[in-house]
Amino acid sequence: MDISSPAAFVNGGLLRMHVGRKVRTVLQVIRSDIASVMGKSTDGFQVVAKGSPPVPLTSYVEVIGVAENENTIRAELWTNFGDTFDGSNYDQLCRLANGEFKHLFL
Amino acid sequence: MPVNLTRNAISMINSGDVNSRPLVQVVDIKLIGNSQERYRFLLSDSESTQHAMLATQLNEQVRSGRVKKGSIIQLIDYICSTVQNRRIIVVLNMETIIPEYEIIGNPKVITGSEPETNKPMPNNNLEPSVRSTNNRYGAQAPANNTQSFRPTIQPAYQPPPNYKIQGPIMKNEAPARIIPIAALNPYQGRWAIKARVTAKGDLRRYNNARGDGKVFSFDLLDSDGGEIRVTCFNAVVDRFYTVIEVGKVYLISKGSLKPAKKNFNHLKNEWEIFLESNSTVELCSDEDGSIPRQQFSFRPISEIESAENDSILDVIGIVISVNPSVPILRKNGMETQRRILNLKDASGKSVEVTLWGDFCNKEGQKLQEMVDSGVFPVLAVKAGKVNDFNGKSIGTISSTQLFIDPDGPEAQGLRNWFESGGRNTASISISREIMPGGSKNEIRKTLAQIKEEGLGRSDKPDWVTAKASVVFIKTDNFCYTACPLMIGDRQCNKKVTQSSNKRWLCDRCNQEFEECDYRYLLQVQIQDHTGLTWVTAFQEAGEDILGCLAKEMYLLKYELQDDTRFGEIIRSRLFHQYLFRLKIKEELYGDEQRVKITVVKVDNVNYTAESRYLLDTVTKKIPIKKQF
Repeated sequence: MDISSPAAFVNGGLLRMHVGRKVRTVLQVIRSDIASVMGKSTDGFQVVAKGSPPVPLTSYVEVIGVAENENTIRAELWTNFGDTFDGSNYDQLCRLANGEFKHLFL
Repeated sequence: MPVNLTRNAISMINSGDVNSRPLVQVVDIKLIGNSQERYRFLLSDSESTQHAMLATQLNEQVRSGRVKKGSIIQLIDYICSTVQNRRIIVVLNMETIIPEYEIIGNPKVITGSEPETNKPMPNNNLEPSVRSTNNRYGAQAPANNTQSFRPTIQPAYQPPPNYKIQGPIMKNEAPARIIPIAALNPYQGRWAIKARVTAKGDLRRYNNARGDGKVFSFDLLDSDGGEIRVTCFNAVVDRFYTVIEVGKVYLISKGSLKPAKKNFNHLKNEWEIFLESNSTVELCSDEDGSIPRQQFSFRPISEIESAENDSILDVIGIVISVNPSVPILRKNGMETQRRILNLKDASGKSVEVTLWGDFCNKEGQKLQEMVDSGVFPVLAVKAGKVNDFNGKSIGTISSTQLFIDPDGPEAQGLRNWFESGGRNTASISISREIMPGGSKNEIRKTLAQIKEEGLGRSDKPDWVTAKASVVFIKTDNFCYTACPLMIGDRQCNKKVTQSSNKRWLCDRCNQEFEECDYRYLLQVQIQDHTGLTWVTAFQEAGEDILGCLAKEMYLLKYELQDDTRFGEIIRSRLFHQYLFRLKIKEELYGDEQRVKITVVKVDNVNYTAESRYLLDTVTKKIPIKKQF
């Protein structure tokens, strides 16, 4: 994977701003199968992560990959984030990283 | 301003009264003595005179002109002895009240009993402002126009006029007018007060340089709400101790007025009455309804939260819990009883009240029985002392009075509030928190801010929270040998020394034992992104930082001498990040003031909570209430 450019922190709503670019997000796993994971973003949207999730998969997973469209990510890197995760903190991080403090991240 | 010297001061001193601290005038000063510089005063109380020797330590006052002929002085420390068949006063301590003044009255050398000259009625509103200097005026100008005042000031000092007192002498036997307690002052002429006894102190015996003595005091309240303390010494105690009863009304006259001792006397009066051999105390048999039984100024518990430490106040509330008495060892080695109870009022706050000594067995026991049987009584505390050790609490002192279920509108109002819902409303305790503020309004600071903002420099310690990492732990003297014995509900913990037979000795408990306890006294350096600082961690905090008991570390280092393992443990505990609750206070070390920081609590960082905190500070919404 090309790691030369940083991946933008996104939630469901911000994904559309980075279509075609590298993004990262944390999803709450709703359904998983061998080739993809259906998850809920921290702001309540449904997002699909295509690729091979880790086995076993915890309730929360971070995916880093390229945004295909406004609700799909072609995931290249998967990280189990455990079963407890504070979504609201992450959500606010995404907002700040794309808004007021964008210059610090990208 | 007309001045009254203390009447009959000379004869009082001559008859042995060396406690009344009278106001007298220096009529003459003579330097005598062959080898030593000694000053001899001629003192006057406006009628009689007496020689007095000035103690040499006061010589400077004469040399500098602070006291001179004509000065009005107050004798503070003095004795009267017989020298060559004459009575001579020796002045050990005095204070010049007015440096220059016309000679008052008609003083002559005392020969025997003198008939009293006629004095007019006292002036009600005389202010004791005799500290004015430069008082050369001869004509008297009364403070107000309502009363004429005694014409004793003569325009200039002249030799005593050559008239003898002849003819029938009438002593003024008319009873002195009753005046309000608030008007009492030492420069008053005759006065009388009518008041109710609100408190009666114990009879106390003492022993000082002048010998043995006994003393007791009682407090008075009059119909205008004025209060004053009355004290009796020695022979006067015998006269009045059994006469005075709490709750009864008395007519009191002919006592002397002196400044009140503020650290024992918490009444709102700058003066205190001292009864003497000629004082009168008369029981008023007719009940005076105009004089209340007690005077309170209750503060709501919510106001106590901001009251000053050590201040004295009255409080009233419903007793919601009473704890059993525990014996407590005081600093002076004496054991006493302590009981803690909780008081709640309509302000939504509750406070801990600590009963000491007899209060535990008397009122404390009664309150315990009442609460155990399901009753929640009203308790009024008069003259309780505010303590700010753990939040704010109230403690009893010797002059505290407790009233269970008193009459009065405040008690009734409280009871009504309690019955109609107050019972079930939750109250926030202003006492319970070990760390003032608790988790509701924690103050977060960086380590650099502690120095920048000069925390710990005021007279109260500062309590803050800081997120930092342990970077260094001092391994010399990381713990001390502590006394494991229990005192009441707490462990003694005083440092113990080893006696010759390898046993441990505690000075406070006065006992020897085989095994001592080991408690942490850790010096640790902590660091955050702004700076670093030394802190001290005691037992609980030490255990959190090192992750094991002080005893284990002690054994590892000194008995097993396993430095390798010891070092491993220490290193493994470095660079952990915690939320430290710190108590910061400036203290005197030898000659210099140093800011001492103590770790009161060590908390692991909760990442969710901390993230939220950081997000809030970033978006400038620093929380007043933590939402965790």
